[in-house]
Amino acid sequence: MTRDEFERNKRRFGDTVETWPAPLRQQARAFMVDEAGLDDDPDTALDRLVLEASLVDGDDQALARKVLARIDSDRTRSSVVPRFFLAPAGLAACAAAALLAVTVVGYQVARQQDDLQDSELLALASGARLTDEGGPGIVDEPGIGADPIEEDSL
Amino acid sequence: MVPAAVQHEKAREDDELLARVAAGNQGALSELIARHGRGLRVFAARYLGNEGDAEDVVQEVFVTVWKQAARFDPARGRASTWLYRITANRCIDQRRRRALRSFIWLDDVRDEVPSLEADAEATTAARQELAIVRDGLSRLPERQRMAVLLRAVGDLDIAAIAEVMGGSAGSAEQLLVRGRRALRDHLAMAAAGRERKSS
Repeated sequence: MTRDEFERNKRRFGDTVETWPAPLRQQARAFMVDEAGLDDDPDTALDRLVLEASLVDGDDQALARKVLARIDSDRTRSSVVPRFFLAPAGLAACAAAALLAVTVVGYQVARQQDDLQDSELLALASGARLTDEGGPGIVDEPGIGADPIEEDSL
Repeated sequence: MVPAAVQHEKAREDDELLARVAAGNQGALSELIARHGRGLRVFAARYLGNEGDAEDVVQEVFVTVWKQAARFDPARGRASTWLYRITANRCIDQRRRRALRSFIWLDDVRDEVPSLEADAEATTAARQELAIVRDGLSRLPERQRMAVLLRAVGDLDIAAIAEVMGGSAGSAEQLLVRGRRALRDHLAMAAAGRERKSS
């Protein structure tokens, strides 16, 4: 931290360095230790080194703008889509409802196919021959549905 | 060490800001970001090793603060500890997401932080030393790295570090001691290596 930065932060956060937010507080302490020509204890010196090595550039005002924009967009989204549907419980409920709907539709389709199979099974059980072309389930054969008296006469 | 009266005053300012945020005051949120945004971003960037992820995490943290400020109870801890706790949890979530994405080959995860080799050509010894510290930090186990950063960047005491990390004060102190020792060993090894090269 330079003298200019120190003075600027003093005007912004007050005269008491200890009330400044981290990590400006530690940087100000280090600046004052350097100015006074004092030595830190080994742990404090290492912490200073870690802080110095960790510092990254960033703009707090830009961060604040982005956060407020996110809050506004969240508010808009939640007013369009009910909050319940954005929550994990809401999403789970939607997924469960969709699964239930698909299951019901599946059963309906399967039931229609089952009706066809039932008639085919009935035909097989009664000894009828099924057509290859998927025509009428039971092919007219002599004997089936014929008058028993006529058979006897043969 | 921060005098108790000063610490109390600082905590009271943050508490008041959070109370105003809970009441829906966006100006108070901006002030809170001005006070703590930088510290949280530095902590997240060094813990995650990626500045872009850190920016996202810190934005998420303040959105959470906006929504959950009413839940903060000053009787249970300091505001700064609460903020670092939310940030630490978000960082852990972010690491897990990244690990999963890299596991299923969606992400090629690389640290954006300059590596030791990249900075090896740094002209001054001070810059080289900082590069070695960064390299040492990236090699620390995650919990040790978190403890060291909470102390050095967040200026949190042992009790607050324990609260953020969800453990006892004893275990937090152990993590800090081991992390610092490992960093010192790393610095000493790097210094010895440089001496060997120069001789």
